[in-house]
Formats: sequence, structure tokens, C-alpha cells
Amino acid sequence: MNMVMDSRSLAASQPGAVSLREDQLRLGLWMFLATVTMLFAAFVSAYIVRRSGTDWRQVQLPAMLWVNTLILAVSSVALEAASRSGFRLRWRQAELAMGAALAGGLGFLAGQFVAWREMMAAGIYLPTSPHASFFFVITGAHALHVVAALAVLTWGAVATRSGATDVPAWAARMELCRTFWHYLGAVWLVLFALVSLY
Amino acid sequence: MTNGFVRRYIFSTDHKIIGIQYILTGLIMAIVGAWLAVLIRLQLGWPEHQWVFLSRLLPKGMPSGVMTPEFYLAVVTMHGTIMVFFFISYVLVSGFGNYLVPLQVGARDMAFPFLNMLSYWIALLSAVVMVLSFFVEGGAAAAGWTAYPPLSAVASAVPGSQMGQTLWILSMALFIASFTMSGLNIVATVFSTRAPGLSMMRLPLTVWSFFIASILGLLAFPPLTAGAVMLLFDRHFGTSFFLPSGLVVAGKLLPNTGGSPLLWQHLFWFLGHPEVYVLILPALGIAFDILPAFTRKPVFGYRISVWCLVAVGCLSMIVWGHHMFVSGMSPFTGEYFSLVTLTITVPMTIFGVNMLASLWGAKLELRTPMLFALSVIAMFGSGGFGGLFLGNATADMQLHDTYFVVGHFHMMIGGVTLLATFAAIYFWFPKMFGRTMNETLGRLHFWFTFGPFFVIFFMQHFLGLQGAPRRYYAFTAFDYLRDTRGQNLAISIAALLLVSGQLLFLVNFVWSLFGGLAAKANPWQATTLEWTTASPPPHGNFETQPVVERWAYEYGVQTTDGDFAVQTVPARNVPVTA
Amino acid sequence: MRRSLETALAAALFAVVGIGGVVYGARSWMPPLASRHGAGIDAMLLYLLVTVGGLFLTGYLALAYLIWRGGRRDRIGTRLASHKTEVVLSVVLGLGMAVIAEGGVLGIGMPVWTEYFDAAPPADATVIEVTAQQFMWNVRYPGADGRFGRTAPQLVDETTNPLGLDRSDPAATDDIVTINEIAVPFGRAVRIRLHAKDVIHSFFLPHFRVKQDAVPGMTPEMVFFPTSTGSFELACAELCGLAHYRMRGFFNVVSETQFRAWLSTQAATR
Repeated sequence: MNMVMDSRSLAASQPGAVSLREDQLRLGLWMFLATVTMLFAAFVSAYIVRRSGTDWRQVQLPAMLWVNTLILAVSSVALEAASRSGFRLRWRQAELAMGAALAGGLGFLAGQFVAWREMMAAGIYLPTSPHASFFFVITGAHALHVVAALAVLTWGAVATRSGATDVPAWAARMELCRTFWHYLGAVWLVLFALVSLY
Repeated sequence: MTNGFVRRYIFSTDHKIIGIQYILTGLIMAIVGAWLAVLIRLQLGWPEHQWVFLSRLLPKGMPSGVMTPEFYLAVVTMHGTIMVFFFISYVLVSGFGNYLVPLQVGARDMAFPFLNMLSYWIALLSAVVMVLSFFVEGGAAAAGWTAYPPLSAVASAVPGSQMGQTLWILSMALFIASFTMSGLNIVATVFSTRAPGLSMMRLPLTVWSFFIASILGLLAFPPLTAGAVMLLFDRHFGTSFFLPSGLVVAGKLLPNTGGSPLLWQHLFWFLGHPEVYVLILPALGIAFDILPAFTRKPVFGYRISVWCLVAVGCLSMIVWGHHMFVSGMSPFTGEYFSLVTLTITVPMTIFGVNMLASLWGAKLELRTPMLFALSVIAMFGSGGFGGLFLGNATADMQLHDTYFVVGHFHMMIGGVTLLATFAAIYFWFPKMFGRTMNETLGRLHFWFTFGPFFVIFFMQHFLGLQGAPRRYYAFTAFDYLRDTRGQNLAISIAALLLVSGQLLFLVNFVWSLFGGLAAKANPWQATTLEWTTASPPPHGNFETQPVVERWAYEYGVQTTDGDFAVQTVPARNVPVTA
Repeated sequence: MRRSLETALAAALFAVVGIGGVVYGARSWMPPLASRHGAGIDAMLLYLLVTVGGLFLTGYLALAYLIWRGGRRDRIGTRLASHKTEVVLSVVLGLGMAVIAEGGVLGIGMPVWTEYFDAAPPADATVIEVTAQQFMWNVRYPGADGRFGRTAPQLVDETTNPLGLDRSDPAATDDIVTINEIAVPFGRAVRIRLHAKDVIHSFFLPHFRVKQDAVPGMTPEMVFFPTSTGSFELACAELCGLAHYRMRGFFNVVSETQFRAWLSTQAATR
């Protein structure tokens, strides 16, 4: 009989305790976020270095970006609401809030796309000025990560639909969703401040 | 779960299969990389000679048997790229890392087996893309493995900067994605799946080295990703991240403004320097752990060595500027990087001394893995000393971009890693494949490898001292380099000897795979957990969950097994000595 | 019997490598020195070669000895060194190495480095502008007015005007331009302003211990003082494309009169 513990069997043998599996996923996510942080840190420091160049020309950024920031913030709030509702075992509310968070995420991406279109309509493209180049590259990189986070949110939403059947599993998934989603929201605030103010 | 050949051996999620897949892929890429090295040495040893049989094999690169400079530069660039990323990183870091870590921590598999499988297939794709880049218009990338813009950014600057460089960038993006997955896996596995009783300070140093190397890679690769994206955009979308105003290339004025070539160098070397430690740390950890099996006594200074690896990992992230002393960086920054770079000598010296001191009072068995492990110590010291020269900004002024650098890094990430890779293969082959490699062929292989390797790269240090610059297609255009002709000839002969010696290894490896004697569970009488299970281990690794009672170096004790106790031997049976 | 042969061979290998290495290395040196600050660089390198050479030999002989002893032993010696021994040995040798390495930098290296970079260029230095391109060195002298004329990349014509000199600029009328040839008068410092037109190159004068990357978009300067007359080669030390290996220039240190004569012939042939 195979008695070697793997993550699942270990979890199964200790009902009620936090599953090893979720521990590993959380660890994996935090390390992934460390990697992602280094990526954006590289872009930010490249931006700062380039900023001091003589040919820097600040381009006009569309107001749409503020709207998108608001949408992303609201989506984070919705995610928190979903989490709270779940802990209060109000699953219907939790499902709705998750839906709102997902919609917000999609809305953010759509809004970013609109913002890009607006800039191009105003004649501002990738090579137009270093500010524009960095803007497109940085927001593009961020958007790609949001796409990945949306996949994670969907996974969390699916868990919420059947949340009542396994609350600890749902809670662990929600923690991962919230960490990733709020992280990207915070990163957006930093990036937005950088490209608008500096 | 494990039915069918495809599920079991091709798309397996078993870390052992994945590890072997990485190792085999890496060995194939090593053959490609070695072939490129042969081409380089043929050109430098016998410039202007016509290699007629090669003109048939490489009609575009060597028309009428003489290599073209554009082909030479592509060969040099790809040799470096392939050896660093697709040989050493695949075999040593991903291959042995995947194979050994779960076994040595007493786990069934990695923390994320599916991600592991994905990482391998992306790695394979990355290697294929890199090799394919030879066959596009303009040939493979030719701006050096360091890909400095503007040379790498402007298509007309060198033929390889047409599609070849783009494919290089895409291949590297895939590589980094694969490495990130692999690294996450190793770190999560070490943190969360250690057997009961296996505290961090009871881990074999091998596991520590993979652990630290993975963290290092996770943190260091992203700036290169950022840089690669920006380089891609400069190349294809008209941006000016790295391209300044007023560039006139091949008679044409380029429209770019304001970019900085130095920015690329910072981003590249921010990865580039930690990367060499990502490669060398596992090599050192493996060599360190192989020693006690053949000295039959515990290693010297295990705990201190752990801290040395940690220190080196941390320090390696703040010294990248020593690649840029003459780049136009401010002299003050140069002073900083010089002083900090040289602090790395402290943990590295301590580590080297610990390896040497582990031989004190030893009862030596000079089997093949041990011969290679001993030569790791020798090569590490030799190459490491070159670091004192290059980290010193003043000395570097004369030595930068000369063959001194080439000699130094080949000894470190070519020599130490290669010798450790061989030590690892000879050592763990019985465990991996349940068969024994031929000892005589192995020893012969050693004798054909260390000597020639040392001669080649030791001599290159002095070529650099004499002023021979890197990446030169030939040294015939300069009077002051006239005297290097004889040295280059000697180096090329040694190189041909070295490469032919590797055939001994390949023959041994393949033959033993199918016809080697059956191996026992613990042929080396070693103490770590992988030796407590069958050779090869079953799916799931261990029949019962190992429980660890002691550190990984319990040699020189009286037990029923002999003069050692594996990590699972209970404390009541044999006293725990550390 | 077999065991002692293996042991002897392995020990001999490392002993031979160690001794052979230092013997071989001791016979190698740089091209003859021709600059003032270069003496400092040479001193730095000599210090490193001697100290590292000694450590190299010691290490290899130690390894050879340990293999020799270990291969002939039937039982292990002291099994486990005391923690104190481990710490003391590590700290002593680690610090010793740090002293050698950092001591070299702080004692010899830094003074040379700061002197080279921080010293103000003498007023009578010969000022030269070098613009590297694929695959030659464009050299420009400011002429009698001591000022370099304006250049613009738009004006570049590879056959007639590789520097893109603006001939309408009065300061440019007396500029003297050569290709791959630099002459300087002996007895004065040399001050070089480095440009690059297309990709990164590197201005390398091995005899003068001078090396500086020529980076497009930047204008690094170097100042050095020749201490010998003669004709010295200039090489490119940063991969710049196909003909990187034959981007050869000449740096001629001549007497003051020969220098003036040479300058006037260059001006006349324009």
C-alpha cells in the first residue's frame, strides 16, 4: 500500500487544517508576484532614467485612464464584498459581487483599449515620443497580467458558485484571487501616477 | 495515470522523467554548441585555411572552405547563447534540479507537476526557435550573446540583426517563461514538501544551491524580459529606447532620438551577472555533495557553506556594473562596483577552502565522479582568481573585452559547470537509469577533459593580457598580435582534443543506457534520501514516507550498512553527530 | 598497486598544472608601456599576477598533496572538525583573500583610477576628436582656431564627408580630418573626445593602457600622457560588426616639429 504523503493525501488526513495544496499555491503566487514586481521595477527604472533625457516630450494622456482607474478600484471593492459575503455564507450576494469584479476587470481592459485608440486617433503612436513608447509598453505589460488575473478570478468565481459545499477550499481560492487582483490594482496606481505625473 | 508510452515518457508530469528530458535536450544542445566551438577554433587556429569538406556542409557560411566574418559572428553569438542557456541551464539547473530536489527532500514529486511539464515543453520550443534562427535571412543573431544595441537593434548593422536577432529575442522570452515556472516549482517544493524531520539545515547542500539559484533567477530575469521587449520594439516598431539621435548606419540616417545604449547594458547585466551564479551555484553544491561519498567522511563547514551560498546570491545582485567599467558609466559608479564585486571573494574563498578542507584526512576513492568533483575545485579556484583582476576597475581597463574575460568565464561557467555536470551524470546515472556507466571509459574521459580544458582557457587569460580583443574573426590584421599565432594554434589543437574526448562520454552514456550492468539502490554508499529507494525510483519515489533523523553527511560511523548512515537511520540506532 | 598509481597520476596532474601554470604565466606580459598613467595599471596587474600566482600555486599543490595523502589512506583521519576550526579557518582565509583583493583595489587601483579620471586636463593638451564608425576611425583636429566646427548627421556623406562637417561654420574651415591616423607631439598630454556614429565601438590603445567605449549618443573623454615616441596600433575593443577585427588605426607619437609638419600636410591635401 502506498503510504507516501503527497499534498492531497496529507490535506485529506488533516481535515479542517489549511490544505498543503493551498499553502503551496499561495507560496507560488507570492513568488510569482515578486518576479512580476521586478519586471515592473525594471520598466519604471528605465522610464526614470530616460526621463532625464533631452528629447523627452510629455504627451497628453486621455481622461479615459481615470475612468479605467475607477473601474479597477470598484472591481477590487466588489471582490472584497464577494469575500465578505462568502464568509457570512451569503452565497447569492457573493456570486453577484464576483460577477461585478469580473465585469470590472473586463471593463478595465476594454477601457484601456479605448484609451489606446484615443491616443492613436490623436496621432500619438508607439514611436511618437519616449513618453508614448513607455506608456504603451507599460500599460500593455500591465494589461497582459490583468488578462492572467481574470483567468484566476474566473476560477474563483466558479468556486464561489459552489462555495457552500467546501468553505475552506473556497476561502483559500478567494485569498489567491484577492492577492493577485489587488496587487495588480496597486501596480496600476503606481504606473498611472508615474506616466501622468513624472 | 501512467498508462501508455506517451503519457508515461513524453507528456509525463513525473519530475524524474522531466528532469531526464531536460538533461537529454541539454546534451543535444551541447553537441550543437560544441560543434560551433570547433568552427570558432578552426578559424582562429588556422585563419585563411580552406576546409574543403566544410564548404560542402556549410556552403553559405564557409564558401570555398573559408569562413565568412558574418558567419563567424553568428557562430560566436550562438555558441555563447546555446551553451549558457540551452546546455548548462537545461542540464544542470532544470535537469538535475528537477530530478534531485523532490528526491532529496523526500517528496513524491514537485509542488506543481503540471507546471513542471509545461516548463519543459516551452523550454524545448525555445531551443527549437533558437536553432531555427540559423536558417532565416541574414542568418542567426550576430551581435554577441550580450546583444548590445545599436548593433543588435539595427538590421543593417550586421546580417544577423535581421530576423535572426528577432528569433533570438523570442526564444529568450520563451526560455525566461520556462525558467520562471521551473524556478517557482523548485522554491515551492523546498519550502513545502520536505519530509518530516528534514529541517533546512539538514538539507544536502545540493538542494540549497538549487533553492538559492532559483530565487536568484526569479528575481534577476525580469529586467532582461523588460529589456528584450524594448529591444524588440526598437527593432520593429520605431521606438527609441536604446537608439540615440543621429545614428548613421550603412550610409543611412536613422530617425530615432534620445535612446540610450547604456540602458540595455544595465538591464542585460542586471540579469547577466546573477545568471552566472544561477549556473555555478548548483555546480558547486553538487560537487560539494559528491566529495563525501568518496572521502568517506563528512564535509568541512557545511553550515558556513550554506551561508556562503546565500551571501553570494545576495551580493551577485548588486555588482552588475563590473561588466561596464569602460562603458561610459560614471567613474564613481565604477569605484562602487569594484569595491562591492571584490567582496564576493570572501564567501567564494571560504566555500573553496571548505571543499579543499573536506579532503583533509580523507580515505579517497578516485572513482570517475570524484575525479570530476576534484577538478571542479581546481577549476573553481583557477577561474575564480581571474575575478580578482576583472572586478578591479583599474586592471579591467586593460583587460575588458579581451581574451582574459573569455578565459575567465569559460573556466567558471564553462569549466566548473561542465565538470560538475559530468560529475553529476556519472554519480546519478545509476539512480536515474538503473544501470552502471563504464568506469574505465569514464576515467579516460576525465583525462581527456580536464587537462585540455585547462590549457585552452588558462592560455586565453594571457592572450588577453597581451591585448587580444574578443570576438575577433582573426588576429592577422595587427602587428602587436602577431605573436599570438602560435598560442592560438596550440589552443585550437587542445580544443580538438577536448571535443574528441567527449566522444568517450557519449559512447559510454548511450551504451550504458542499454547495456550497462544493473545498478543497486545505493552503489556509492551515500547518505542522501535518493539512495534509500530503488534505482530507478518508482513513480512516487518512495515506498513509505521517509522520516529524516540526521544531516546529510553521516559518514565515518559504524553501522550495519558499513561506514555511513543514510539520513533516515533513526537516532537510537546510530548517534546523530550534527 | 593500481590504487597508488591512480592516486599518483591524479596528484601529479594537479601539481603539474599548478607549477606549469605559474611558469607559463610568468613569461607573459602586455605590450611595452608608453603612457604615464599606464605605469599604475601595470603595477596593479603585476601585484595581482604575483599574489594570485602565489595563491594559485599554493592551491594546486595543496590539492595535489591532499589527493596524494588521501589516496594512500586506509581509514579516515579526524572525522569531524570542531566548529571552532571551521569558523577560524573560514574567517581567516576569507578575510585574507578580501585583504588581498580589496587591498589591491584600495591601495593601488583606486588612486590610479581617480587620478586618471579626476585629474584636470592640462591646458596644453593636444585635443583630438575621434569618431568611430563601421569600420574606421575618423580623426579630427580643431586647427589653428582651437575650435571644432559644427557637425550634423544630416550632412554625412560617406565618401566626401563622413563626419558630417558643416563647412559653412567658420570654426570648421580649419578643421583637419584624417582617417585611421592620429599624430600627437611628444611631451604634451593627449585629450581625446570620443564619438560613435553607428554602433558601440571601443577605442583601445594597448601600449598606452587606454580603453574607452565609444557609445552613440555619448561623448566620453580621455586624457593621457605618452611617454615614448613611435607608431602604435589602435584597435577596436567592442564588437561592432563584420570588420571589427580589422578596424586598425595608427597612433603616432612624434616630435613637436614633425607634428606640425604632419598637420600642415594634412591641411594642404584637403
